[in-house]
Amino acid sequence: MATATASRPKQDLTVEEKVKQLREAFRNAPEMARVALENALPTLKSLVMEAQSEQTESAGRIGVRLGKVSELTVIAPFAAGGAERLRTVLQLLNGNFSAGKKVGTLHDMRFVFLDNDTRFLFATAFDGEWDPYIDDFATQMPDEMDVIFSAFEGWPGIHNPKVKDWIVKHQIPADGWYVAHPDLSVAQTGRLKRIGKAVDEFLDKLNA
Amino acid sequence: MATTMAADKKASVEEKIQELRDLYADAPPLGKKALENVIRELQSDAASPTARPMESAGRVGSRVGKVSELTLIVPLLPGGAKRLRAFLRLLHGNPQAGADRVGTLHDMRFVFLDNDTKLLFATAYDGDWDAYIDDFATKIPDYLDLMDTDWEGWPGIRSPQVKDYLVKHQVTAEGWYVANPDLTVQEARRLQRLGKAVDEFLDKLNG
Repeated sequence: MATATASRPKQDLTVEEKVKQLREAFRNAPEMARVALENALPTLKSLVMEAQSEQTESAGRIGVRLGKVSELTVIAPFAAGGAERLRTVLQLLNGNFSAGKKVGTLHDMRFVFLDNDTRFLFATAFDGEWDPYIDDFATQMPDEMDVIFSAFEGWPGIHNPKVKDWIVKHQIPADGWYVAHPDLSVAQTGRLKRIGKAVDEFLDKLNA
Repeated sequence: MATTMAADKKASVEEKIQELRDLYADAPPLGKKALENVIRELQSDAASPTARPMESAGRVGSRVGKVSELTLIVPLLPGGAKRLRAFLRLLHGNPQAGADRVGTLHDMRFVFLDNDTKLLFATAYDGDWDAYIDDFATKIPDYLDLMDTDWEGWPGIRSPQVKDYLVKHQVTAEGWYVANPDLTVQEARRLQRLGKAVDEFLDKLNG
């Protein structure tokens, strides 16, 4: 309690400093941006000072987390023939890589082909820390991982001790990360869906 | 009728499986082996009547169930990465103030690429592309101009050219997975309130 009060003025100062930095950075920006900045600043400042916004933190070895939900963004060059192989796998599944459900901490996952099929973007939202998440992939869907990632240059194999170093090398941590429900893990969402269904049934019976 | 369709689906899945085997014949050995380990499962996933296909999110992008993806890669103006970083840093990396107001936004990331010369902007959101862009434009126009002003060629959120600009830089995902494809942001919020109410109700019953 006392700590929170004591740290308060220091925090305000930091916000003011950051606003100053922001105005400085926008000094040479186009007119449209400077007007937009001044319009948005009062709301921004009050939100930051009221500490309503949660802060992003590290997701562990690499990447960013907000509340319980983290981001992973990997961009890697394709190996020869890799783009064609991966595209055929995805087409077989009509684009929906439903094996993802084996990893119970995975919110969403996208596969995007870049730069005339020379580079690939793989981006996910997941629960918790980076290391256990990669371990989940390795234990829950090792073969699917090798089918997909063997499309990339230098992929050592999911069971290779160097696999985490390979991922870290190609992962780019986000500088901004927003999640609508940062406290809702995939498991928690599953539980809430069951509760919602049970309540609906309960009410149906009451009204029958 | 239904039988014919199921038979057609099965035949086309078998063709695709064969194509896949042919392609993976030249893959690195560990990829080839992995394919053999999962090919039956892939086959049954693909032929499953409950398998939900990825569909179009409208003008551009992909959707599974109710949840769509938007993936943009835009070139940044000189100094642009510095300004956008300062903005994100003020918000502790979480642009929640504006994003919450959109109401259909599940998640959103900002990633600087290629020595700060490009930005990857990727979101998961509810519904159709056009309605989603309209939500951004009507609910948080100033935030958008603030964040996007350093995107090379950004016409301004109020410009009639803005959608063409976005389409030009958006890259549609060829694979998209969502754990809860039927859950919109609003529905998740409703379930959270319901869960809390049920917990309180049970507490009172046991109290």
